[in-house]
Amino acid sequence: MFYRQAGVHHSNYKTDSALFPIPFDKWSIYTMLALGIFAPAIFGSFALTSYLLPWMIWAGAALSLNLLIGWAGQFHFGYAAVMSIGGYTAIHATLAGIPFEIALILAGLMSMVVGVIFGAAAMRVKGLYLALATLAMQFVVDWVLTHVPAIGGGASATLQAPDMTLLGFKITSEVGYYYVAFGWLLLVTLFLLNMRRTGFGRALVAVREKDYAASILGVNSFYFKSVAFAVSSFMGGVSGAILVFCFYHAVTPEQFTVNVSIQLLAMVIVGGLGSIIGSYFGAAFILLLPGALNTLVAYVSELLGLQIGIETLAHLPNLFYGILIIGFLLYEPLGLAKVYDNIRKYLMVWPFGYSKR
Amino acid sequence: MTQQVKMAEGTALRQADFSNDTTVVGLLARNAKEIGSQVAVKEKDFGIWQEYTWQDYLDNSIYFAAGLEVLGFQAEEALLLIGDNRPDLYFGTVGVSALRGSPMPAYPDANPQEVLSFAHESRVRYAFVEDQEQVDKLLDLREEIGTLEYIIYSDPRGLAAYSAPGLVSYAEVIEKGQQAIQANPALYDDLVTRAQPSDAAIFVHSSGTTGKPKGVILKHRNVLAGVRNGFQGGSLEKNEVIMGYLPMAWIGDYAFTVAAGIALQWQLCIPEQQETLLRDMREIAPTFYLAAPRSWDNMLTNIQVGMQDAPRFKKAVYHYFMDLGFKVEKKRFEGQAPSLWERINRVVGEFFVYGPIKDAMGLSRIRTAYTGGEAMGEDTFLFYRSLGVALRQLYGQTESSAFNSTQSKDEVRLHTAGKPLPGVIVKIDESGELLLKSESNFEGYYENEKATVETLVDGWLHTGDAGYLEEDGHIVVLGRLSEVVYTAKGERFIPNYIENRIKFSPYVKDVAVLGRDRDELCAMVCIDIDAVGNWAELQGISYISYADLSQKPTVYDLVRDAIAHVNETLPEPLQIKRFSNLHKEFDPDDGEITRTRKLRRKVVEERYTDVIEALYSDKKEVTVKAQITYDTGETGTIERNLSIREV
Repeated sequence: MFYRQAGVHHSNYKTDSALFPIPFDKWSIYTMLALGIFAPAIFGSFALTSYLLPWMIWAGAALSLNLLIGWAGQFHFGYAAVMSIGGYTAIHATLAGIPFEIALILAGLMSMVVGVIFGAAAMRVKGLYLALATLAMQFVVDWVLTHVPAIGGGASATLQAPDMTLLGFKITSEVGYYYVAFGWLLLVTLFLLNMRRTGFGRALVAVREKDYAASILGVNSFYFKSVAFAVSSFMGGVSGAILVFCFYHAVTPEQFTVNVSIQLLAMVIVGGLGSIIGSYFGAAFILLLPGALNTLVAYVSELLGLQIGIETLAHLPNLFYGILIIGFLLYEPLGLAKVYDNIRKYLMVWPFGYSKR
Repeated sequence: MTQQVKMAEGTALRQADFSNDTTVVGLLARNAKEIGSQVAVKEKDFGIWQEYTWQDYLDNSIYFAAGLEVLGFQAEEALLLIGDNRPDLYFGTVGVSALRGSPMPAYPDANPQEVLSFAHESRVRYAFVEDQEQVDKLLDLREEIGTLEYIIYSDPRGLAAYSAPGLVSYAEVIEKGQQAIQANPALYDDLVTRAQPSDAAIFVHSSGTTGKPKGVILKHRNVLAGVRNGFQGGSLEKNEVIMGYLPMAWIGDYAFTVAAGIALQWQLCIPEQQETLLRDMREIAPTFYLAAPRSWDNMLTNIQVGMQDAPRFKKAVYHYFMDLGFKVEKKRFEGQAPSLWERINRVVGEFFVYGPIKDAMGLSRIRTAYTGGEAMGEDTFLFYRSLGVALRQLYGQTESSAFNSTQSKDEVRLHTAGKPLPGVIVKIDESGELLLKSESNFEGYYENEKATVETLVDGWLHTGDAGYLEEDGHIVVLGRLSEVVYTAKGERFIPNYIENRIKFSPYVKDVAVLGRDRDELCAMVCIDIDAVGNWAELQGISYISYADLSQKPTVYDLVRDAIAHVNETLPEPLQIKRFSNLHKEFDPDDGEITRTRKLRRKVVEERYTDVIEALYSDKKEVTVKAQITYDTGETGTIERNLSIREV
């Protein structure tokens, strides 16, 4: 009922290939964009820094990983390592006096180089073996960070992030950090929205569906897999740098352990493989739900006057959280994006049913 | 029935800014001068809407005319046009009339005999066709036609290897025209002004429900008088957006898409193909839509079939608001105002049901919607009114340039066809026949003196329609004079009226109601394969063919329910007692219906004598033998058992 499509027509290919041809979609995007831009004015400082900011950063990281898993179909169990390379590179570069903008690019490039080196080695194998090979990257990078003082600053050291100056502006406020993260997320989103329909995006999908079938069609699957690793690692590296500079303001190896890699993977899978909005949902789900569940469980137990031990109370949210994830994978294996898509389609054809043929 | 009123005349609400003392070409040149850079024609091609401005429209028409003249086309000659709606064909139509020739469109699915009779009638030397299919058709007939010299085609696909003499592409004709005009620039203006108001604008044929189609030449001043009458009576507005989808051989297409379109500066949008009309119409969302009742019925069937697939909740919401809409419209019918609660519901319904459905069908911007050509079923009419589409009835004839009378926007009366337009005088003669006098009337059938004398008497056009005038001047058309039927008991009825009511059911595509000189009424039904097929799929009923599906007992139940529903509203003597589902649809190729899908009652009654006899006996089954002609020319017969069912 919201999706009105009558009268939408084009007399040139430029408007015909607009990203959002349906007016309602377009207006929802504008609304979300406006919400994003005016968020600092709408939300309080607490909500901004503890919910929105991390959500933006992790959504950006999830999108970068989604390119590799969702579009190119290549598993990566060590994505936190990719991000850590970006984070460390950016800090070292800015400490060495390199401007932040260039440091960000350096961060991306460094992640890309390391990512591709590991990727190229890993791509000699496929599927689960590839996943294990990337997991190896996680441990190698972890080891390097803790054991090479020149990079990690010594065992369990913390490197403070210096002040950041972006395009001539000194960024020190929460709002400033928010906008940097928001800007990066916008860039990544726009890139993916457009990538989907380029030859590159379609080649990735072909490789994902069946790499040797793609090869038969003339798509060099090794080349595209490598490019996917490179692009995704570059974006992951920048996301890592943004995470370090805008959120943690410091970097330690503990921020990028294997747990983080698994969480990122969960964001992508729960959100929906190969879906942009899905990565937003996935990041929100994995990041924000545990906190929300904590509050909810505490509230309910108080409301009902339940005498629950503090220990149990701490574990109950984890239980529900697990149940939710299992439930989602069981009933909607295509993720939150599919749930959204179902609702959208239900309304799109309203009041008719889905066409069965 | 009091029939006090014998004559009615329309009154003008406003003045048009053009007179009928000009030509369609002249008005096109006016548009090119006034709004030359605005888009006049859009056609969906290669995935987008290709645009032509008014200047392009004029240029193409004039170049075509000049090119045709180079090929030797003479004034007062006819150009045979065959094809689906294409900008080129419209340019050609206008171009030929600029040369003082007459464009003579034929239905694209016309069979060879029809094309042949058209071609012989006016000894055509030139034909302008859409594509390879039509070129092949004409090449096959060329020897029989004898006079055909040039075949011009619009779409060159598949024609590269053809070497038949006289085969010219549209692009070549345009090029020749451009060269001629380059050599003699004065030719352009000469061609714009050459045609006179008394020259032919279009050469169409009457639909021929009762016999062979008769040729009708309408002059510029006839068709433009029609448009002017329509505008002055408030039936047509300026600057509408319309779909160019009506068959070009139907007067409605020329009168609306070309004459009214040019005179009132409408934007014409042409779908990619006939098959993509629904989707393309949704993309355009026209502001003006004219369709035969048949097309409105089709659209309704689409909606109903779509709702069959809907989940329960959606169905419930849909039915709640549609029932409400029906109730409100019925009330309006009876002259009552809807209650406050109903009005609130209508607003809510607009958001939840009416709006989305109009959106899905491309009706959301409709300002003017007409049904014309034949009578419409009451339920179909009410359905669109309750959606909020201000559907109106239009009455017209080929012989009078299609515009005679329309309802005004706020008149929800089903049985009338509105008041006569200004400039139109309507009279009822002693036999109850409707007579028309208007500047839009034609001046006689083409080379058919006898028919002309019968039809045109002292400037009065005898329409052949039975009808009467209401006290406020509204015309009520009962049906074809020749179709008013009496049963053996003397009950007077019009089969068409009952048929249209039955056709409201999505499952019924066509139906022939019988009962002339019989004791009771019976019906032969053609099921709608799309709707019934979809229904069968949902029910898990398997079938192999149309004939097989039509004979399923459960399908008979469906049809029986539809007929029984209509029977409830009819007086006892006019209720349908028995019916049979036919094994095939009525087909214009078999002559059972016209190309505009009007029933040819005589042919049907002759062809299905066995079935009719069985319907009026107490048999439960009848065997029909049908002779079919294959494409190869061989003939064969098929035998079918048709069940007969009591209602």
